[in-house]
Amino acid sequence: MTALQSRPTRQAEVAPVKTRRWRRDRSLLIMVVPAVVLLFVFNYIPMFGTTTAFQRYSIYAGFWHSPWTGFETFRLMFADPLFWASLENTLLISLVQLVLFFPIPIALAMLLHSILSTRIRTIVQSVVYLPHFFSWVLAVTIFQQMLGGAGALNQFLRGNGLATWDVMTNPDTFKLLVTSQVIWKEAGWGIIVFLAALAAIDSQLYEAAAADGAGRWRRMWHITLPGIRGVIVLMLVLRLGNVLTVGFEQMLVQRGAVGRDAAEVLDTYAYFYGVVNANFSLGAAASLFKGVLSLLFLLAANKVAHLLGEDGLYRR
Amino acid sequence: MNSFDRRRFLGLAGLGALSMAGGGLLTACGDAKPSGGPGTTTQDQLQKLLPAYAPNELVKADIPSVTGANGFFSNPAFLKYPASPVTTTSGVPGKGGTYTTMTPLWGAIPSASGNAYYAAVNKAIGATLKLQPADGNNYDKVLPTLFAGDKLPDWVQVPSWNMGNLGFADAVNKFADLGPYLSGDAIKAYPNLAAIPTSAWQCCIWNGKLFGLPVYYSGATIAGTIFHRKDILAKEGINPDDIKTPDDLAELGKQLTSAAAGRWAFDDVFDATGQIFKFPVDPNRWVIDESGKIIHRYETPGILAALEWYQAQAKAGHVHPDALADKNQEAKQRFWSGKVAITGDGPGAWKGDDAKSGKAANPSYERQAFKLLSTDGKPQIWMNPSAGMYSFLNAKLSADQIKECLSIANYLAAPYGSAEYLTVNFGVEGTDYTMVDGNPVLTERGSKEVATTYQFLITPISPTTVIAGQTQVVKDYAAWEADMVKYAAKPAFYGMNVTEPAQYANINQPMVDLIKDIRYGRKPVSAYADGLKTWKAQGGEQLRAFYEDIRSKYGTGQ
Repeated sequence: MTALQSRPTRQAEVAPVKTRRWRRDRSLLIMVVPAVVLLFVFNYIPMFGTTTAFQRYSIYAGFWHSPWTGFETFRLMFADPLFWASLENTLLISLVQLVLFFPIPIALAMLLHSILSTRIRTIVQSVVYLPHFFSWVLAVTIFQQMLGGAGALNQFLRGNGLATWDVMTNPDTFKLLVTSQVIWKEAGWGIIVFLAALAAIDSQLYEAAAADGAGRWRRMWHITLPGIRGVIVLMLVLRLGNVLTVGFEQMLVQRGAVGRDAAEVLDTYAYFYGVVNANFSLGAAASLFKGVLSLLFLLAANKVAHLLGEDGLYRR
Repeated sequence: MNSFDRRRFLGLAGLGALSMAGGGLLTACGDAKPSGGPGTTTQDQLQKLLPAYAPNELVKADIPSVTGANGFFSNPAFLKYPASPVTTTSGVPGKGGTYTTMTPLWGAIPSASGNAYYAAVNKAIGATLKLQPADGNNYDKVLPTLFAGDKLPDWVQVPSWNMGNLGFADAVNKFADLGPYLSGDAIKAYPNLAAIPTSAWQCCIWNGKLFGLPVYYSGATIAGTIFHRKDILAKEGINPDDIKTPDDLAELGKQLTSAAAGRWAFDDVFDATGQIFKFPVDPNRWVIDESGKIIHRYETPGILAALEWYQAQAKAGHVHPDALADKNQEAKQRFWSGKVAITGDGPGAWKGDDAKSGKAANPSYERQAFKLLSTDGKPQIWMNPSAGMYSFLNAKLSADQIKECLSIANYLAAPYGSAEYLTVNFGVEGTDYTMVDGNPVLTERGSKEVATTYQFLITPISPTTVIAGQTQVVKDYAAWEADMVKYAAKPAFYGMNVTEPAQYANINQPMVDLIKDIRYGRKPVSAYADGLKTWKAQGGEQLRAFYEDIRSKYGTGQ
């Protein structure tokens, strides 16, 4: 913008601002159209469905003819102890994942970045990416085969006359179990964005620091981490916005193994009490509650980022 | 696929289905848009609605049907397909119409283009059925959108266990009333439909109207039973006929479990113990106790005894750990591979193709069912409705189109032993099937093309037949079933389509979760009483009142 204003051309003097902007940005705008259409069709139009949260919705009467009930569904939901239990589980699991999972892709990316051989780097990268492409059903099955009561580990322990250790059905350690599953499955995928940020750091900085006598840890502390701080904060803000989303499928697949008390999260609550029992209004209410709360988390996290002098989601 | 095991899916009916199949009265209460009629079908009206029954004795069974208690009867069994199949319909039933159909399908959905089987059946019926089979496991997700969007096919099947989600007393109004075409003697224009027993037609009535065409199961439909690996028991020197009580069964738990060797006695047999401890399993939910009070299965003393028994087995390490981790999809593989010796399953699991799969894992594989067990020496087994899936014609079809579809249904319902039955179930001889030892066996092409989809629009009385050349399985099953029907009993509200008030839909989920917690040993049996108290307070008592009202107005169907 400033560049254009400082060098006004003949054309720019006569054309209105809007036309000028369009000429400059049209390729970008055209490129963004498919994404906007997708967003509109799959995210904005369905938002219309949240009206069902304020109705006693029946699929035969539809949106137009179902009776309005105001906040009745919310009142019932907030009076349901199972709802609060699922919210508590969601927040706890999210917290555990934030503490135990979030730093791992960063550390992994920094380790990978320090490997000089591209061959080894590619191999390691492919191996840690791979689990991301498995479905949760498959991932949990692999865990069951390895760590389950009749899995490889326990059969080995039994074979050697040792005590068995069935972590797959223990509700007390479930939060750690799901976090370790997330680490196994998603840590590799999570490093991509950090690797990109690391690649953007000017290598001359390292050389200069090394010449000045900075060791490995010094360089990491004073060059690497500050270099990717913006990305780390951005990812953290996004993560906080998603704090109420802790993996619907992962919980659904394992809910039977550890029980509702340990594995019911907001998404499975909406599924079991909304979709399965055809109480779509309750499902919509739970989802709307989750959406609004997530937005608040996101804005709050962004605000904190700004206070710390970072960009967060957008520049102020 | 013929290998599809229908009854196993009856077991899935537990997934929140609220609608009990059967036919008497049908009311929708508390729904956003209540159906027009009060749903008061009296016994007198029922008699006027029901089609006449004209059995079709086409061929003589090798092992005849046996009639047991309360009019329930075992399937007739055939060891060979009749050598010269007769034709039961005259001319071509269709008039060249084109109809879209949708049925659930469990298994690979065959390609419609170049499908010799589809082409052969469509040619035989003289009309084009555009078949749209949909994945049976997600069928309950497909149906509501079709209803809500008013995009129903011309002819659609709805399993009883998917009806709860639909508020079926309302949903059914989208379909054509078949009463004018089929009630009373009118059905005699369609002899193969008239040969389907009345008990199945009774399940097809909602709101005082005959809407459905039945997918007939059998004369003694059960939810499931307890199976064992006879070969494994024999190796341990156990005679299965000695097992008569739950204590005997528990004793087997000890004898058959060898965890270090990777073998456990039991898979998930909890639902199957409902027969032993006398608590009803889906789709039956209510019983009448000795004092005459209507009680839910959660309130029966039996379920508490069963929970105690099962938890003891789980804690003693007699249940396969994967079963305790709720991994029931792989139960059949565990049974085939001998990782468990005793399992619970639907009777449809005991078929030739099961023997084939099991023998592939272990040549000595032999599945057998225990004779009915009991705690008091008086075994009893509650029956499910004789039809649990029904197809419906779209209300938008004209009278002529409905008649054409019913003529096609008459062709599809041709009984075992007829030429039509071979076409409908096996396609073209030489292309889709060949006769091996007197029985039709699908060719490689046939096993890709032939899907159970015409049969899921309407099904005639289906005998027990030889599958995959496993003749002994037919003999064993027929003998077991003949014994089982001696103990058959009608549960409360048998044969009545009851749509429960929608506001109580959610009260069962916490009980389903609690029962799992106790079964798997996560919570003590004593936790049950609290859960039950909540269930009663949240609507259990109101539901009882709802059923008391039904009893006083329409009886219990027993």
